[in-house]
Amino acid sequence: MLQFQNTKCECGHQNPTGTVLCESCGKPLVEDLPLDSPLEMRYDGVARRSQKANPDLLDRVWNFFSSVKIAVWLIVITLIGASVGTIFPQEDTFINLDDPAQYYKDTYGTWGYIYQSLGLARTYESWWFVGLLAMIGTSLVICSLDRVLPLYRALSKQQIRKHHAFLTRQQTVYIGQLEQEPAAWTSSFANQLRRKRYRVTAEDTALLAEKNRFSRWGPYINHIGLIIFLLAVLARGIPSWHLDEYVSMDEGQTKQIPNTNYFVKNDKFTVEFYKDEELPPELKGTNRAKLYRTEATLYECTANCNDTTGKDPVLKEVAQHDIEVNSPLSYHGLDLYQYNYEPQARLISVRPMLVDSRTGKSYGPFDLPMNDPPLTYEAGPYTLKLSNVFPDFGLDDQNRPMTKTRDPNNPAFVFIVTGPGLSEDGEMYIYFPLPSGDDKTIQNQINQSLQKAGSNSGRFTFEVGKMENVSFSQYTTFLNVRVDRAMPFIWVGAGISMIGLIMGFYWQHRRIWLRIEDGKLTLGAHTNKNTYGIRAELAAALNKTGVAVEPKALDNRRNTR
Amino acid sequence: MKKHRKPIQYLILAFAVLIGGYAIGRSFFTTQSVLKAGSEAPAFELADLSGQTHDLDSYKGKPLVLNFWGTFCPPCRDEMPALQKEYDKWKDQGLQLVGINLSEDRISVQQFAASVGARFPILLDRNKITEKRYGLKEYPTTFFISSDGHIQEIAIGGPMSEEDIDSHIKRLFETSPKS
Repeated sequence: MLQFQNTKCECGHQNPTGTVLCESCGKPLVEDLPLDSPLEMRYDGVARRSQKANPDLLDRVWNFFSSVKIAVWLIVITLIGASVGTIFPQEDTFINLDDPAQYYKDTYGTWGYIYQSLGLARTYESWWFVGLLAMIGTSLVICSLDRVLPLYRALSKQQIRKHHAFLTRQQTVYIGQLEQEPAAWTSSFANQLRRKRYRVTAEDTALLAEKNRFSRWGPYINHIGLIIFLLAVLARGIPSWHLDEYVSMDEGQTKQIPNTNYFVKNDKFTVEFYKDEELPPELKGTNRAKLYRTEATLYECTANCNDTTGKDPVLKEVAQHDIEVNSPLSYHGLDLYQYNYEPQARLISVRPMLVDSRTGKSYGPFDLPMNDPPLTYEAGPYTLKLSNVFPDFGLDDQNRPMTKTRDPNNPAFVFIVTGPGLSEDGEMYIYFPLPSGDDKTIQNQINQSLQKAGSNSGRFTFEVGKMENVSFSQYTTFLNVRVDRAMPFIWVGAGISMIGLIMGFYWQHRRIWLRIEDGKLTLGAHTNKNTYGIRAELAAALNKTGVAVEPKALDNRRNTR
Repeated sequence: MKKHRKPIQYLILAFAVLIGGYAIGRSFFTTQSVLKAGSEAPAFELADLSGQTHDLDSYKGKPLVLNFWGTFCPPCRDEMPALQKEYDKWKDQGLQLVGINLSEDRISVQQFAASVGARFPILLDRNKITEKRYGLKEYPTTFFISSDGHIQEIAIGGPMSEEDIDSHIKRLFETSPKS
């Protein structure tokens, strides 16, 4: 805790509470270090903004966040929390997780169950983790403000003539009798320093040379970058700023992108594999994909987008792109990436002929789409009325036809055929468009039993004939749909942060002070890093102006040992 | 500059509290709410077999049994006759029983309902939208909704026997004022 302290320096300057080195002449005000040790030059010895003799509540809160010690602890706790979140996969890495509690228990055992019920499976969205991030952000702002403003003030109104104690307790010091005329020597020394790109200000026989002050602002620019980065990460929580969804589509299928008014159609999917001669010996004979490509069309829905009453959504085509790995379809911040594919043969539509087995004549063909088939079809003089559809044909335990799933894995259509030479009620036939032998057998069996029951005369069959009358999808494609409007801000924040780091790391703020009294030269120099550099620079300048000195001899820390 | 220091400090802390509070507050609401007994039944607007649309509000004021079913699901198929019997038994006392089909073709639904003799109202979901809104994990799932629109019980899986359905309906009438 700060104690009452007389903050008036002997030079007459009134310093704020907490000042370490007099703001004006640089005389050490806090005498708790050994008297001859190098001075604590952090923030040039100025007081932090919030250091006060009688802090009120606001000051105490401010002080809490202004402490670097607290900031380090916050970062350590956050790092520990973040690493705990990596023990088991996070919930949001699973695409379809209906019952997380059960899943973690089944997959990872008791520890998984405890992990999930403690909420650690959602670590990065948890209140405490977000809270820690918010506190780090606050601490970044307050720590920086509390230090950068006093530092800026101190550096922009520096006193040229410094206290002897200030000069002789720098890390780089030279004290010696000057054998030349002080004014002439000072001006030639100043010229040497200028050649090293120092800005020199002289006042009688005192001098201040300074370079690369901007490097002191590096950490604060880095912090501004980090704050933008952090705000951008938090901004991903704004609903329209972030989206991460998956869409699976057969060829020819159009699907809505969940939680948006966009629809996407898979026009065609292509996968190419490496030929055997293109593969290294150990991979020969394996299927290695060379290319996945979804030819996709993006639609914007203008009406009836989430309609459930039977009205079709009104779609407007807005973009088209061949999506490949690393080549997403991008539209207004929406990105569709190729995520996965699955071999899955599915019919899209067929164009069968209605064949009269008595005359051998065939009628049609007629278009039969698997998705939303129309209710009536014309084939020559005959009319076919759709009477039932089974997308995935099977029999239930009472041997009634049923569909096993909602997916068109093995579609079957029941038609009632009416026309010349047929009874008023028509005849009922079942048709399996998939060209597999099993299906054809079942088709015949069912049609025969329908014949026995008097529902048909066995006169008609269906035939697709050429393959060009069948269009089918070989693969299901999986697209990952992302919106990340915070991304540009994340890049900007990271860029600013990098600029700050470079400023702080690759340049050093160097200052040289000197004063001459009765021919005695007292010189002190300070750099915020690389003391070898400043000693070499200083020794060179001194040697060129007739003061012989070894760089090593300037090291004040060495001398005190 | 000095006299502005306090207000600026307050301003910065207020910003920190605002942004931090928003971010933390959001973390409490992102967990998806699972429907359970006591929840309000999610709204829907669906077409029936003849193409007429119905929404949840039109069923309010009387107890409602909402059965999600599909022709691809054997237990759903098996409990249809029991549902029809219970509907016949209770409908004069004001019970509404509605089957919501799980996004199948209208023609298949019509054929199946006719073949099992289901004459209670059937609505057609599309693209699994209503099903998702009700958070279905298993088929069939039946929601017993009181006359004020709150879910009283959820029966997951099936087939339910006539007695099962009957006891659910009785409890529904015990809590809902008869109209």
